[in-house]
Amino acid sequence: MKPSDISRKSECLCHVEPADLTPLPFPYEDYNDRTITALKPDKIKSIESSLDDTVAVGIPKPAGEEEEKAFVERFLAGLKKLFEKENNWTFLQPLILSMEHCAKCQTCSQACPVYEMSGGKDIYRPIFRAEVLRRIYRKYIKPGGKISARLTGDIDLNWTTIARLAELSYRCTLCRRCATVCPVGVDNGLINHEIRKLFSQEMGIAPKEIHDKGSVLQLSKGSSTGMIPLAARDSVEFIEEEMEEITGCKVNIPWDVEGADILLLHNAGEMLAWPENVGAFAIIFQAAGISWTLSSEAVGYDAVNYGLWYDDVQFSRVAVRHADIARRLRVKKIVMGECGHAHKALTVIADRLLTGDLNIPRESAMVTLDNIISSGKLKLDPMRNNFPVTLHDPCNIVRSMGIVEPQRRILRKIAPLFREMTPHGVDNYCCGGGSGFAIMSGYNFSEWRTLLSSRKKFLQILDAFSGEPEDMPKYVCAPCSNCKGSIRDIISYYDAEERSRIYYGGLVELIVNAMTDMKKPIISFGGEPSWA
Amino acid sequence: MVRLSSLPVHVRWEVYPVQHETASRVYYGGSYMEESDWWEKKQKRSLFNEFKYMAVEILFIRGLFKENRTLWLVSFPFHFGLYLMVAAFLLLMLNAVLALFVEGSIFIKPLDTLIIIAGWSGIVLGNIGCAGLLYRRLSDPELRNYSSFTDYFNIMFIFIFFLSALISILAGDPFFEGAKAYATGLITMGSSFNGYVPGSSISGTVSIISASLLAVYIPLTHMSHMFMKYFLYHSVKWDDAPNLKGGPVEKAIIKNLKLKPTWKASHIGADGRKSWLDIASEAPEEKS
Repeated sequence: MKPSDISRKSECLCHVEPADLTPLPFPYEDYNDRTITALKPDKIKSIESSLDDTVAVGIPKPAGEEEEKAFVERFLAGLKKLFEKENNWTFLQPLILSMEHCAKCQTCSQACPVYEMSGGKDIYRPIFRAEVLRRIYRKYIKPGGKISARLTGDIDLNWTTIARLAELSYRCTLCRRCATVCPVGVDNGLINHEIRKLFSQEMGIAPKEIHDKGSVLQLSKGSSTGMIPLAARDSVEFIEEEMEEITGCKVNIPWDVEGADILLLHNAGEMLAWPENVGAFAIIFQAAGISWTLSSEAVGYDAVNYGLWYDDVQFSRVAVRHADIARRLRVKKIVMGECGHAHKALTVIADRLLTGDLNIPRESAMVTLDNIISSGKLKLDPMRNNFPVTLHDPCNIVRSMGIVEPQRRILRKIAPLFREMTPHGVDNYCCGGGSGFAIMSGYNFSEWRTLLSSRKKFLQILDAFSGEPEDMPKYVCAPCSNCKGSIRDIISYYDAEERSRIYYGGLVELIVNAMTDMKKPIISFGGEPSWA
Repeated sequence: MVRLSSLPVHVRWEVYPVQHETASRVYYGGSYMEESDWWEKKQKRSLFNEFKYMAVEILFIRGLFKENRTLWLVSFPFHFGLYLMVAAFLLLMLNAVLALFVEGSIFIKPLDTLIIIAGWSGIVLGNIGCAGLLYRRLSDPELRNYSSFTDYFNIMFIFIFFLSALISILAGDPFFEGAKAYATGLITMGSSFNGYVPGSSISGTVSIISASLLAVYIPLTHMSHMFMKYFLYHSVKWDDAPNLKGGPVEKAIIKNLKLKPTWKASHIGADGRKSWLDIASEAPEEKS
């Protein structure tokens, strides 16, 4: 398939058959005939669904030619703005460099887990969507483009082309593995990010999970979970009680302590889905005698910043709110909890947005925890974690920030049966839930994610534990909320808890599980305590 | 390059490993952010590490060697052949200068040898590379589906240069006497002091004209990635410079925040008068 085929009339441009997918090994062969459940015709009759077997955005079909024309014109207006410094100073130079210098060598394709796992479907090549945008840009924005397009690569522009491109921008997890292998330095992940931005910032098009129910909800209510400040406080109160019940350790979680050394930012999803993670942080910080606080102000108790994936303006608004809360609390630094995209958002990307007294130092919890463990302030018994542990590297913490070793130093001290995945570190594979996929579940998207974008991670996990006894519990340590969400879903979908005794959790839970002060283990495997 | 250097400072978008980190961190892709309170410490970075890596990458295309070996087998001779021809040209010019201005220079003979080595190996590698790249683009659907007329034209254009140069040296000028005379002529506005100058040939003329046109054409095309790679790596992939209070990055950001966007989506709330700073500081006006 060529990039110009995106304009081709077809009810489904790309269909994935079970036989196309990379096969799963024993004891999961029975999943090899599974495929994505067909979309229900009545649910998709009024939306764009002709790209592949799923829908992430669901753009309403136009009512007539006028609407189609207006849609195309608005897209072109947005595309032009991507190349203007007033509108896109944030990414202009990287975008131009990546747009102008691709040698089309396809090295990036081999690095992409979605492309590989799909059996090499052309539309999932990292270069495919980049080349579509490149051709539209050259033909319709650059002077003389309609003539030169015949020489440099032509493409037809119509409503379908654009609607499919919008959908296609949500088939890449922005893991940027392709960018690390490109010999020229072209970043197709970045081009994908810019496509999403164009749709959101000019046309108001984005998956509802990351915009309406994501950044908009966070800015208006305080959290993308919908939790208002009072609900956040209630949740944490519940966590305090839970921690005492589970571990026998009484913990006090401080709120709004002015002048504390650390403002800890959690992904608020942890409070609801994985409360033990929030509790474990509190146990560790309390035991280490750290001066810290949470913020009960709206947005201040939710580290997420979904704008990172699709919209610079929404991104900036959330980042500014986070920094302003830290400024008013007069904390010395912000520590990012176990949330990968929040790490990258506030520590790296917002670094060139926050100025003056908003530029509060930011640090990864991996680093803070490593510091605590190295200081010897916690009494640890690694044999309490005497089960195989493998580490998932969140792309945003590892590949995008170079924080690779602190979490490993910790695991080497607390997990005697630590097993690395292959490959790992900056060469890792995405969990499949990156760039918002972990929270997107409309139509049959979660199935596409589990079968395609998370498939490589599942194979890696199985491989890491391949030599371990089947009946021994195994722990996938995923220090990132979105990654945990994806891994939870693949374990559940493939029944891996039952078949291979594979469980998952964060890093802090493993630390607390090894603390000799704990009367009872925080980690249990299917109701069975990890130590007695 | 001029346009790129005039663009505003962009947000950080580095990807690790970043090669100017210390060798112990580059080894596994670590960063200064692995250190607690890094902002209070002096950063240890090595530009030498960056240049060392970049030199090998640009000269030998290390990335392709590691990630796409079969393509490297044809891409490397192509690129290295071009580099050797640039080196041969510089040696020819040096030779001409010495011949004209330094009588009996002891460097002339070694230079002659270097010109022959660089010239022959460059031409042979270039021809292998062009033929190989052309074959790969035509025969491999992965590459063919993304190749345009311009891609084939570019390879053919370079192939014409390498092929005509090969014919010239095989047909009677194995020691590059014609090229030396041409280089001298460039300095003397057409005169030559060489004792022997081979008669002009069609292949020699074609190689000189095509080389001159290529020197102008390559920087205008995506083929400039050969040297623009420096910016892709140094200014984006490895740009991890932190924004320190009162520093140059902060000054550039303050300037950027005054820019006035015109994005049209309703949640942005841009009207062409509000700056990025105004927009980022306010809540969006949209239904929740």
